Amino acid sequence: MSAFLQYLITGLGVGCGYALVGSGLVVIYRVTRVVNFAQGAFAVVAAMAVSTLLGAGLPHGLAEAFAVALAGLVGLLVGLVAIGKPGTSPQAALIVTLGIGIFAYAIEILIWGDQPRSFAGLPGSFTLLGARVQSHYLLIIAASVLVFLAMAVLFARTDVGRALTAAAANPYAARVVGINVTRMGLLSFALGGALGGLAGVLTTPVQQVTFDSDVVLVVSGFAAAILGNLTRPAFTLLGGLLLGVAQALVAGYLSTSYQTEVALLLMLTVMIVQAARRPTIQEEPA
Amino acid sequence: MTKTFAGTAFVGVVTLALPLALSLSQLTIYILLGLAAMVTIGLSLLMGYAGQVSLGQASFYAIGGYAAALISVHGGPSLLGLLAAPVLAAAVALVVGVPILRLRGHQLAFATLALQLILLSVLSDASWAGGAIGLQGIPHLSVAGFELDQDLDYAYLTWAGVALTMVVAHNVVASRSGRGLRALATSETAAAASGVPVGRYRLLVFALSAGFAGLAGGIYAFYLGYLAPGSFPVLLSVQYVVMAVVGGLGTIWGGLLGAAAITLLVQLLTDLGTRPGMPSYAPSVLSYAVYATLLVLVVLFLPRGLAPALRGGWRWRRPDRAARTEPPDAPAPSLAGPSAAANEAA
Amino acid sequence: MSGRVVDVRKLTVRYGAAVALDEVDLHVEAGELVALIGPNGAGKSTLVNTLSGILKPAGGSVSVVGRLAHVPEGRQMFASLTVDDNLRLGAWRIRDRNTARVYELLPGLVRVRDNRAGLLSGGQQQMVALGRALMSRPQVLVIDEMSLGLAPLVVAELAAHLRALNSQDGLAVLLIEQNARLALELCSRAYVLEAGRVVAHGPSAQIAASPAVAAAYLGGGPG
Repeated sequence: MSAFLQYLITGLGVGCGYALVGSGLVVIYRVTRVVNFAQGAFAVVAAMAVSTLLGAGLPHGLAEAFAVALAGLVGLLVGLVAIGKPGTSPQAALIVTLGIGIFAYAIEILIWGDQPRSFAGLPGSFTLLGARVQSHYLLIIAASVLVFLAMAVLFARTDVGRALTAAAANPYAARVVGINVTRMGLLSFALGGALGGLAGVLTTPVQQVTFDSDVVLVVSGFAAAILGNLTRPAFTLLGGLLLGVAQALVAGYLSTSYQTEVALLLMLTVMIVQAARRPTIQEEPA
Repeated sequence: MTKTFAGTAFVGVVTLALPLALSLSQLTIYILLGLAAMVTIGLSLLMGYAGQVSLGQASFYAIGGYAAALISVHGGPSLLGLLAAPVLAAAVALVVGVPILRLRGHQLAFATLALQLILLSVLSDASWAGGAIGLQGIPHLSVAGFELDQDLDYAYLTWAGVALTMVVAHNVVASRSGRGLRALATSETAAAASGVPVGRYRLLVFALSAGFAGLAGGIYAFYLGYLAPGSFPVLLSVQYVVMAVVGGLGTIWGGLLGAAAITLLVQLLTDLGTRPGMPSYAPSVLSYAVYATLLVLVVLFLPRGLAPALRGGWRWRRPDRAARTEPPDAPAPSLAGPSAAANEAA
Repeated sequence: MSGRVVDVRKLTVRYGAAVALDEVDLHVEAGELVALIGPNGAGKSTLVNTLSGILKPAGGSVSVVGRLAHVPEGRQMFASLTVDDNLRLGAWRIRDRNTARVYELLPGLVRVRDNRAGLLSGGQQQMVALGRALMSRPQVLVIDEMSLGLAPLVVAELAAHLRALNSQDGLAVLLIEQNARLALELCSRAYVLEAGRVVAHGPSAQIAASPAVAAAYLGGGPG
């Protein structure tokens, strides 16, 4: 029982990380219809930045906050390149974000080298029903839940959030009422960046990162988000948690080497099942 | 028509004669370039005609390589290994293609990426494939008693592989199925309405591109003599995408051009990066930075890629942006979105 | 010159190489109801989009005194948002997001204020679109194809609202309509746009009486 609980909690923690990455994908996709391949890079950059800032003497909390803000800024820059030029189709923008993700490798190696990095998280551990778990996992879960709640409030109750939804729902009507759709797109990229950054900041104490960790992160984030068809944050959270827990259980009871396969196969299954419900021919935009 | 034939013949003769003039290290580049071209031509067709982005094309390269390697390491005739490479790769593509080709755009991109990650994971764990260390001591390819043990031999084998790929690709595109494929790329709904079996054609292109990649992988295995999962990272798949996009999607020469451009560029950057005084990470940093920038610039400013731009010819549209008034036979695939004006009017 | 809330002079708008509007002259006085009729593809929506700022002129000038609100063709709801949210977004350009005034003007919206806009009937959506435009307290309203797909009774109700807004609030209206009869009845002045050019304009009665217009847009013959 205690082993199960341990796997469950670590799985939930890791799953929250995936959900945060995925929610960044969702925010960006909803408004711009672009799938941001650089999403994982936000997490890596933020994590690396934290380790640098901590090394420079900045206290915990402040270092993480700066790193998330930095990730938001990086997100904005990615958005500028991906959608800043009028007439860039979402497919083209996808490839652009792929390119930016690779460019990020160059920057990351240049600044931080190619070795794995980590930093200390919330210290200590606690015991729950006989299971010994690092306290940091609780931090991840708590922070993620708060962020998801905040996002729900943002989209439903604030003017900016409504404008973001409007830009996603009907770009033409949004322009008619005076909403700058491109600016909303850029805002969504900045938000996506911050969310990705937060994921990196929260999970690196328990999972070290290297410059090429972004692939696994973006694939996992996508796996979480695809449950909600890339448009629904609540399902992304659910997807992330399911993924994290499934991985943890497989790693704990079977073997750690099957972790990746679990995530990937889950994702593929969800996608294929969803696709099977849709017609074969893609509907063309009018 | 004769101009194209003359041009093709000229290129063919030059590239055939070239290996004789190259040094050993240059021959390696020649071979790797050719192998990359084979994969890229297939990918370019896939992305251009079937409108699918594959981020896992290196999977088929790996499958081909491992198939050839496993057969010959276990004592089978190496020629069989070489023939099995494209066949097995295409077969795998057919099997996985059925469920995943129904996915659209970004979902397919992630699905192919996921498949590669799964493949790599499986290969790393599989003792029969040598695990993470891989397969060593792959014997040289021997055909009818003649053993290919010189780099020069493999250069010619590669040339033959590229030529074969281009010929097959050309025939497919020019055939009746090819017309159906072009219709597919312009407008799926219109194509389907005209009786084009959309699903089947997409699968065909997918399997074909896998076959090309598999054959390249087979040659690679014999040339190098050893294989490991680490030889086929996700970055390699991304590199193929860069080559295809830069060269020009859906054009056969574009595949070759893109592969050449990127291979030579990476070689140049590696040379630059390994000069004395350069830090150890310089080669990779330079490569990543430069070809990422190239990819972004091409996508944003030269969406049809280099080949059409150089030829000044061909105008296609991406499947879901096609103006339905354009006849299917017209233009070349590109990543161009709708014109700004049309965007404004939407 | 004074009193014009919309003044369009020699307006030219292009789509790539094609000319959508060719030196169009058009004006709307304060408190006027003006109709713009013409066939599909004449450039009516292009004109509206240019007035609204979505398209940029290639030549000529557009001058708007006060605020212009655009009721787009096809209603263009934010389908996943509620009616109330749709209205509030209409006030995006101004500070005041208070919806009370619009609910007073269009009481039919009160009942459905918490419904998702995408689930409403065409007539209700048209009313939401109208209300959304009114949220920004405009001096001039541009309405694109209000009657499309709506039952005559619903259209009559909308027309009544427009008349009331015009007489009570002095709201100027530029009505773009394929339904020429409706437009000419409602508005005092009319323009006829064909292939990007104004081919006729003047008082509605005069336009309606012209045989060419009657034949093309009013089903031919008097009445």
